[in-house]
Amino acid sequence: MIGEEQLLGLLKRVVSRSPAERTELVCMGGRSGLTRYTKSAIHQNVIEEDTSVYVRVAEGKRLGVVTVNRMEEEELVQAAARAVEVARHQPENPYFEDFPQPAQYQKTNTYFEATAEFTPTARAETMKKIFAQSDRLGFEVAGAFSSGEAEIAVLNSNGLSAYQPLTHAQITIVPVSEHGMSRSSAFSHDVSTIDFEGLAARGLERCALNKDQQEIPVGQMDVILEPSCLADVIMWLSMIAFGSSSFIEGRSFLAGKLGEQSMGDNITIYDSIVEPEAQGLPFDFQGFPKQKVVLIERGINRGVVFDTMSANQAKTKPTGHGLPPGMPHGAIPWNVCLEPGDSSLEEMIASCRRGLLVTNFHYVNGFLDPKNALMTGMTRYGTFFVEDGKIRHAVKNLRWTESMLRAFSNVQAISREREVISDEGGMFSVMPAVYVKDFTFTGVQKEELD
Amino acid sequence: METKEWLKAALENLSRDGVDYADARHLDRESESITVRNEQVAGLSRKSDSGFGIRVLYKGSWGFAASARLTEASVMDTANRALEVARASYLTQREAVKLDGSQPQRGSYKSDFEVDPFTVPLDKKLGLLFGALKVLRQDKRIGVAEGSMSFFRTDKLFLSTEGAEIMQSIMESGAGISATAMEDGELQRRSYPDSHGGDCLARGYEFIESLRLVENAESTREEALALLSAEPCPADTTDLIITSSQLGLQIHESCGHPTELDRALGTEISYAGGSFLTLDKLGKFRYGSKIVNLYGDATIPGSIGSFGYDDEGVPAQRFPIIKAGIFVGYLTSRETAPIVGGQSTGAMRAQGWNHIPLIRMVNINLEPGEEDLSLDDLVADTKDGILVATNKSWSIDDLRLNFQFGCEIGWEIKNGKRVRMLKNPVYTGITPQFWNSCDAICGRSEWRLWGLPNCGKGEPPQTMHVGHGTAPARFRNTEVGVKK
Repeated sequence: MIGEEQLLGLLKRVVSRSPAERTELVCMGGRSGLTRYTKSAIHQNVIEEDTSVYVRVAEGKRLGVVTVNRMEEEELVQAAARAVEVARHQPENPYFEDFPQPAQYQKTNTYFEATAEFTPTARAETMKKIFAQSDRLGFEVAGAFSSGEAEIAVLNSNGLSAYQPLTHAQITIVPVSEHGMSRSSAFSHDVSTIDFEGLAARGLERCALNKDQQEIPVGQMDVILEPSCLADVIMWLSMIAFGSSSFIEGRSFLAGKLGEQSMGDNITIYDSIVEPEAQGLPFDFQGFPKQKVVLIERGINRGVVFDTMSANQAKTKPTGHGLPPGMPHGAIPWNVCLEPGDSSLEEMIASCRRGLLVTNFHYVNGFLDPKNALMTGMTRYGTFFVEDGKIRHAVKNLRWTESMLRAFSNVQAISREREVISDEGGMFSVMPAVYVKDFTFTGVQKEELD
Repeated sequence: METKEWLKAALENLSRDGVDYADARHLDRESESITVRNEQVAGLSRKSDSGFGIRVLYKGSWGFAASARLTEASVMDTANRALEVARASYLTQREAVKLDGSQPQRGSYKSDFEVDPFTVPLDKKLGLLFGALKVLRQDKRIGVAEGSMSFFRTDKLFLSTEGAEIMQSIMESGAGISATAMEDGELQRRSYPDSHGGDCLARGYEFIESLRLVENAESTREEALALLSAEPCPADTTDLIITSSQLGLQIHESCGHPTELDRALGTEISYAGGSFLTLDKLGKFRYGSKIVNLYGDATIPGSIGSFGYDDEGVPAQRFPIIKAGIFVGYLTSRETAPIVGGQSTGAMRAQGWNHIPLIRMVNINLEPGEEDLSLDDLVADTKDGILVATNKSWSIDDLRLNFQFGCEIGWEIKNGKRVRMLKNPVYTGITPQFWNSCDAICGRSEWRLWGLPNCGKGEPPQTMHVGHGTAPARFRNTEVGVKK
């Protein structure tokens, strides 16, 4: 970590020496470590330190981007000169007007010393306790535990200056028995808030249930989807529907259909950096303040996210969801949340006459028919048959193929409790569990020849 | 030269500290990616990325540290931190890692190219892409016309405490175009020469020109438009002909990944998944029909799955995976090869300086059929079936058994002729069942090597450039469409 004062000072000097008409610098870097384990032993343990600077310049309406991972002032000034050369050979971008102006940002708490100082040895000691916990039940543990600190800074020739430090701690625990697996995971900016023993205990309990998996016939069936499943599906919706490019180009199911009902009236999906469960980065990669954006409100299509150029193209206002310079994807939501309901996982199971409890999805793909949000994927880490309000037995993993517009129109109940599901980069989603009627299963995981 | 001396000194220090083994990789990479969409440059960036990583085996446990700060002090500090990480790993050790007896290599490797793409003016590259897009956009129903190019130049140095010293320099170039037609809420895309950014080879700009993007834009556009009024692929069980690039992805997902030995040993089960090809199946499991022969080969000139040495310093090699339908070999590393009684197949690859090498695909290829059967011959030999081309969606379970692929385009075959175009073709199956249903593979003249520059694996996620050589093939009684 370079630190706010030193980093912004360096970037300011580079902007002042840049040969470009306008200059924008986006700096991302830090130190992170990741410990992976299988069969209750660490098999991979890595740390890395890196900082990259995206130098974006504007010559009139011509833009050029050069990225380097060197932090010497001269290197960065030279990168700006190379970006000018790139810009001069590009056609004008009619949607570029200027880099953003200085702004005030919402304060979010994303940095915790305890996480920044968490060492590889501390990660190994934590895992040693979890391995001992699983040994007592005769299970092995696989998974990954990462922690680290990062800093993101944006500075431009309009005087905009933004800086945010972040820490992350993320653990996945996959207990493995001779019969099956389960998965539990946690994310927090503050490692001291993670209840490792409780998390492992929940995973071990689920793993004990995941045995004697029976094959069930495919077809439509009620499902209770745990938060992790929703996070996978929402990530795909963000790519194919909630971003600026898919909307402007007409590939999104929201395109030309704002104000129309596409999901059930109990579904509200929004992007927000301040939730009771988590807080996010208060600006985007242009330094534009992040706005709360309602994407779906009570089932009605309300909007998508924009950066400055896509907003100009769509003749609307930016929402603060720009990606790092040079990427071709437009704006994408980063912190998607599904509004909680008034049920609980236990109540959903109790209310289910005949259905499945799905704990995790695997390998979801949303490119089948994006206009209808048709997706496919598998179930993983424990799928359970529920009958007359009780979990009866585990079933073999299933393939599903379903339109998410149809699925989100068939949601019967949503839990009050939500989980934060995140990656290291500051993206997260906050998801409840949901009960979906008549979800479509189309295949079974099996090896035997029929 | 300074860098090499610092890294050598760091490895000597680690040897003095009593490590079992250590290696160091320094990497410099220049890359350029260009995406144009309709009339705009949607994305264009040039990137320089350099740094080094040091991997340490201490009392049989691994540690790895990497840094972009290239100073003598930083190199020494990073080496010490790699050792500290290995000591942390050792706290949970249950079985010590042992490496195979691969001999340390001293050598160099350079991929061939004619025209350095980094010297080609940007105007020329943009001119080519916009020229192709102009043809794609000649019908107003083409809502999105897109073209992209990507170039990579990688120079890397590998050193080890065993005395290895290897320099490699690899140039890669890729490009593709696509047209998305839209009408009345319908949306259909065609890509050339393949989806997911086109094709990519370890060549220079001459490869981009050989693709003839402008000349192929018209047929790409017309197929996208024709798909708007095509019938949907019916749900049925029928004979399926898969053309070359889609078959490459089929091999990638259902043969390449499950034959990575680290997956079979469980080191990926908490993320990408395991493998149905467990150790007990090696040498005896019937994976496919007798005509199915799959092999790994990192020695094919011009492929992005090729190199001189892997990132453990093991020479590139060719090795069998499926022989006459029987599963006979894994992709292995120095750590895993002894478990199945062999030497590394040279398949350890790292995305960058800041990643450890993992077992990755190289070129995983399907041998062409013995007779020189053409695609037209294969269609003519099929009474009822569907032919599919160009990947659109992909999904496979965590053991690599149950898969579903969607393609951009399909054609119904009746009595040996393509009778109508089909939109949204999807097929699904169970890997060994599917490969055992393979009854015909086209010949050498239809065989083509494809570059796939976006294979994901590992935590932190690593993207790898791999290759797949295939010829179209037929699979009997395959489930197509989505049953309601």
